[in-house]
Order: sequence, then structure tokens, then C-alpha cells
Amino acid sequence: MKGAVVRLLLLVGLLAIISRAQVLREDAGTPVTLAAGALLLCGLFAGKVAKGLGLPRLTGYLLVGVAVGPYALGFIPGEGVKGLDLVKGLAVSLIALVAGTELRLGLIRRVGARVALLCAAVCGVTFTVCLAATFALKPVLPFLAPMTWQQALAVSALVSTVVVSFSPTVTIAIVQETSAKGSFTEFLMALVIIGDLFVMVAFALAAGLTRASFGGGLDVTGLLSGVGWELFGSVVVGGVLALVMLLYMRGVKQELPLFLVGLSFAAAEGGTRLHLSPLLVSLAAGALIANLDEREGERIHHAIQRAGLPVFALFFAAAGAGLKLDALMTVGPAALLLVVLRGLAIWFACRRFAPADDPRLKQYLWMGLISQAGVTFGLAALVSRTFPTFGPQVEVLIVAMITAHELVGPVLTRRALTASGEVRTDEAQATA
Amino acid sequence: MQALLVFLAIAALSLLASSPALDPGRFPALARLAAGGFLFLLFGVVLGPSMVGVLSPEDLQLMRPVMALGLGTAGVILGLNLEPRLLRLLPRPVYAAALAHSGTAFLFVAVPLVVPLVLTSRPSVVAAVGAASLLGAAASLSSGHFAVLAYRGGRMDRARGLGVALLTMLDDALGLAVLAVALVLGAGSNPGEGLGLVCLAMLLGVLCGALLAFLTHAMNDLAELTTVTLGMVALVGGAAAYLRVSALLAGVACGATLALVGGRTVERVARALGRVERPVFLVVVFLVGSGLYTRDWAAWALVPGFVGLRFLGKVVGGRLTQRLARGVLELPPRVGYALIAQGGLALCLVAEYEFLVPGTLARRVLDVVVVGAVVNELLAGPAFRQVLPPPPPREPPASAGVGVAT
Repeated sequence: MKGAVVRLLLLVGLLAIISRAQVLREDAGTPVTLAAGALLLCGLFAGKVAKGLGLPRLTGYLLVGVAVGPYALGFIPGEGVKGLDLVKGLAVSLIALVAGTELRLGLIRRVGARVALLCAAVCGVTFTVCLAATFALKPVLPFLAPMTWQQALAVSALVSTVVVSFSPTVTIAIVQETSAKGSFTEFLMALVIIGDLFVMVAFALAAGLTRASFGGGLDVTGLLSGVGWELFGSVVVGGVLALVMLLYMRGVKQELPLFLVGLSFAAAEGGTRLHLSPLLVSLAAGALIANLDEREGERIHHAIQRAGLPVFALFFAAAGAGLKLDALMTVGPAALLLVVLRGLAIWFACRRFAPADDPRLKQYLWMGLISQAGVTFGLAALVSRTFPTFGPQVEVLIVAMITAHELVGPVLTRRALTASGEVRTDEAQATA
Repeated sequence: MQALLVFLAIAALSLLASSPALDPGRFPALARLAAGGFLFLLFGVVLGPSMVGVLSPEDLQLMRPVMALGLGTAGVILGLNLEPRLLRLLPRPVYAAALAHSGTAFLFVAVPLVVPLVLTSRPSVVAAVGAASLLGAAASLSSGHFAVLAYRGGRMDRARGLGVALLTMLDDALGLAVLAVALVLGAGSNPGEGLGLVCLAMLLGVLCGALLAFLTHAMNDLAELTTVTLGMVALVGGAAAYLRVSALLAGVACGATLALVGGRTVERVARALGRVERPVFLVVVFLVGSGLYTRDWAAWALVPGFVGLRFLGKVVGGRLTQRLARGVLELPPRVGYALIAQGGLALCLVAEYEFLVPGTLARRVLDVVVVGAVVNELLAGPAFRQVLPPPPPREPPASAGVGVAT
């Protein structure tokens, strides 16, 4: 670990020199490639340091991103971090593709109904608690204060749907890192994925209601077709991608990792442009392949796992660099209250509604549901764009919450997996 | 979305380049362009703002990070080839021979073309000299891929094939040196500032190279080694682009430093980079092609001069080379004809110059070299046949009346 610390410090030193040298120039060139290289390298070595300290590598990626990013030391300019959105989309697609290959029909038959019921319960309880809390904070929150109570209720519902969302990316990354396997891990992964499907539908409905409360009129047909397109359109496009992948894997058989990266990139960019969910597109593609041809599903899984190290390091370090620490300062108390209430709601819902046949679910499942990342970021940005009058302030609140969740979520997720006894690497011993 | 289009276009071209539709027997010139990557250059020209316009100038601006990565990677690979032990072993006449063919081509192109450059664009004399020397630098470079293919295919003996390849590797040094001088003259508001910027690029490269050697020292995991190598290549190219200094020169300094202090790691790093070399090269030539401005008639007028003078320079320089390398390096007869293929570094040089030196003159240099590179690649095949020994005469078929003892 000492070697990793020294290497990390040297890298940060080099970044400090580069940022000092830039001050001597009158204007700067593009910082995107610098951000990519620096975050990849710093993330990699910070992951090693975190592992040495008994923390998930992912926490190391996130923390070093925060440290060298524009809101702390400022060695990586904000423009550079923003330019990595393309990479983030790619990473989410790749991660979802791997997650999809885990969704076998047998698993869905075995735990599908129980997961869906628990998911509805957890999302319902969390949503109710957050809705009540946000609405109660109306006099304190600047964007809610001037609204009528109907408007405030609609906006609170919108905020609460976003706040409920989980993070499949963090969960999958931690599962990959620890090589966890078993019924608890399957349950957790299925729950975070289905939870995000619930959130997508709820968000579309809440956005429609909010628009109506601000005089936009309630367009039920538009609302349903929008939700339908996002869900079913994504699955159909995912199906087409799955067929393309199968044809390639059976016909060409070469350069599979490169091909998968290209296709995931296309899914991420194309999906966003077509108003589909890139996460769902890749998830559906992975699930279809795994169920149509188990052997090819395994090949995809291994090919992406080989490319996983740089993808995860860059994705989460960039996510860390994008966390707005100043937002945490301005709306900190309200965000912190919501973070605590969300955590309590998830804990209560799991204790109360998780299946009794496996006591680990009641005890540890809640810890795996705390993280928030890509999907929540995306929904917050969507609120900001759709409702320019109050959306940017809502985004600040949600990003502040994400910051808190990102810092504790990965640690809790790994603790849940370790406590469940399904972690297969030597890390289980290291953290036990 | 445009970025997606670019990558999809490159993916489609990669499939096309490896498809049987480009059978050398049916379309030899096209197959040669595809194999050398120059088909991508043409495709970039067609999709660029000047022709079909699928990519706008803003899109090209957005693709600059990718270009910085490509130039940085090219630089590091070049630098890694500067193996100190091997360079020390080479006798002086080899250097003199390499300088002869590249220097002659440089002088044949740079000196005459400075006149039309001054007359057509009326820039300052310093700017015209910088632009003309860049044209000369691009002309001085050659690619050894024909020689390598010929000795691998058994059409040229190994010693001669390697001799040509060695000459083409050494001429890169002249090209890079001229780029450095041109940047000293043009990249800053005065030569002093320009020199400072070139030194900054080199310093950045040295720091990154030394750090890469330290980071990869005793690293056994292949995935980690590849990640660190790619991360450092992105860092050196990206930092250079951010500081607006040459990513290519910084990359070369990084690679050379690593080659000097990296020890056993160097080979593994080179292998890791080798895996991305071809895709990066294809993306770079595609982007350079899409930056071509086809409506600059002055540039078109310069192309015949550039190609013709370069050809002449290579032929004359080849004779000099042969004389200087006699007894030290085995070369085929009429070696100048083997040096007509231009290679990708010339495109990197002019792309870098266009990034860092503002003005229409730098763009004109890029236009001339891009079109010239395609023409030179087409000329290179027939020219290379001049240096190959004639095929042995075929045995006449046995006449029907001759009996065969059984």
C-alpha cells in the first residue's frame, strides 16, 4: 500500500505542476484528455490505497476524483470533467450490459415476484417519507416557499421520486470487485435494477403532474406514450442490439471487447438521442443474450470484466470530480435530513417487508440500497432542464444528497455483501 | 451525436478495409490505400466540412481531445523506438545516409516552395519560412512499409529490406526537429516565447516518461500495466493540449525518457501501446482528412510542386544515400524509389502545426500535405517496383512431343 500512496502523491504532484504551468499561459486548450488520463491514473492508485485501508476500491476512485476535481484542489478543470460525459454514458452501458447477463429467466422466475413486491414496498415507504419531509420543509426550501400548496406537493412528489432511486452501477461494480455470488447478491442486484424501472415510471408520472400544476395541462396520452416509449422502446432497441451482438459473436469472433465498447457507446449516445433509457437498452440486450445463448452471455461477461478496471476507475473518479461540494454547503442541512430519512425509510421497509425465509435480507439488504449515482444524476439534470424556474435549485439539493450517498453507499454495499457471506475474494477476510 | 457518427464511420471503414471486396488483385491501388490507412484519410475528406459536411467545423473542434490523444500516442510510440543502446551501435555513415535522403527532399521542397508561399499569402517572411520548412519536413519523411512487406513476401532480401526500413525510421528525427524549429518561429508571439513553449512540451514529456517508468516498475498485472500506460499517454497528450504546446513532441520526450530509464518495463509498455496503435492511427488520419479545406486553390496549385519536387529529392537523395552507406548498410539499387511512400508522421506534423500556429498558412500546409500524402501513396507502389529484382523467367512448358521416362 505504501507504494501506491507514493505513486498517487507523485501523480497529484504532477497535476499540481501542470495546473501551475497553465496559469502562466494566457488561455487554455482543451482539458478533456488531461481529465481522462489524470482521473484514470489517480483512480487506479487511489483504488489500491482504499483497498489497503479495507475500503472498497470504488470509494478510492470517488474520493480522489473529489480531491483533484474542480471543487477541491482544482487540478482538473470543470470543463474537462464535463467533457467526460461521453465516457460516463459508455461506462453505464457497459455496466448495464454485464448486469443484464446476470438476469437469467430462472432467476427471474425464482425471485422475480418477491423482489417486485419488496421493491414496491421499499420504494413506496421511502417515497412517502421523503414526500412528507420535503413538503414539510416548504417554508425552509427557497424553491418551494413561494409555491401554492398544490404546486409544492407536486414538486415534492417529483423530488421524492428522484430521491428514491438506487444505483445499479455502484452495486454491480462492488459485486464485480468482490466477486460476490449467491442468493443474497442476486436479490440485491435484481432489486436495484427493478427499483430503477419503478423510479423511471414514477418520475414520468410525477413530471406530468408537476407540469399540470404549473398550468401546462395534464396530457395523459402524452404521459403514457412517453413512459411506454422509454420502457418498451428501450427493450425493443435492446433486443435489436442483442441480435447484432449474437450475429457478430457467431460470425466474426474477433476483437470482442472492442466491438462491445463500440456498441455500448452507440447504445449510450443513440439511446439518449432517441429519449430511451441507455441503462435499460443495455440491460435488455444483456438479458436477452444470456437467455438466448448462455455461452455467449458468459463471453460478454468475461470480455467486459477484462475491460472493467479502466472503465470503473475512470467512471467513478469522474463522478467524484463532478460532485459539487459547494452545493453540499448551501443546502446541506435539508439534504442531510433527507439523506437520514431516506436511509431510515429503506432500513424500516427492509426490516418489515423483506422475505422471512432468509434472515440476511432483513438484516443487511438495506445497506446495499443506500448508494445513488448515474440514474439519479440523470433525473436531477432532467428536472433542471424541464422546469427551468425551480429545476436548477432542485438539482442542487439532489446533487448534495448524491454526494453524501456516494461517500457512504459503496462502503455499506460491500459491508452488506461481506456480512451476507457471499464475497468470494480474499477481501472478505481483509474487511471482516 | 457527431462523435457517434465518426466512430461508426471508422468502424464501418475498418470492416471494409478487411473485406474481400478490396482484393489487391482487383483494385490494387485502392487495396494499398486501405492497407496503409489512407482510405480513412480520403473518407475524412469526403465527410468533412468542405465536402459532404457530415462533420461541421464545430464538431472537429469537439474532436480535439481525441486528436490530442492520437498525437500523444504517436509521439510516445516514436519516442519508445529511440532505443539508446541500438542508436549507439549504429555507425556514423548510417546517420549521414539517412540525413542525405531526408535532407535532400527537405531542401528540394522547402527552398523552392517558400517563394509561392510568400507570393500567394503575403505573410511575414518568418511565417512563410516556417510553413515552407514544414512542407519540407513532411517531404523528408518516408514510410518503410513497402520494404517490410517486400522482404516478408520474399521479393527482397532481408538485409536490404531492413536497410530501407532503418533509413525511414531515422528520417523521423529530421521531421520532428523541423517541427520544433517551426514551432519556435510560429507558436509564440516571438521566437523566445516559442522556444519556451517547445521546452515546456519537452519538460512535460520527460516528467511523464520518468513517472511512467516509476509507476510501471515491478507491475506484474497486465491489465493494470495497460491501464497505466494508456492513462499516462492520455495525460501527456492531454496536458500538452491543455497547455497549448505540442502533444507530439511531449509524447516523443515521454517515450524517449521511458526508453532510457524504463529498463525491462519498456518492452511491455511498447506491447501494450502496440495494441492500440492501429486504431489510434486510423482515427488520427480520419480526423486530419476531415480538416482539409478543399476550396483553397492556392493549396491545390502547390500540390504538383510538392509531389514532384519531393519525388526528385528522394531520387537524388537516394543516390547520395547509396554512396554514403556503401559498405555499412546494404541497400537496394535506386533506393530513392523505395522511399516515395510518405507515412502517417507527416500528417501528424502538419496537424500539430495547424493546431499551434494560427493563420491560413498553416491550414494551407495541411491541405498540401494531405493531398500529397494520398498521391505519394499511389505513386509509391509503381516506384517501389523499380527497386525490386526482375522476376525470374518462367520455364517454357514441355512440348507435347517430348516423352517422359517412367
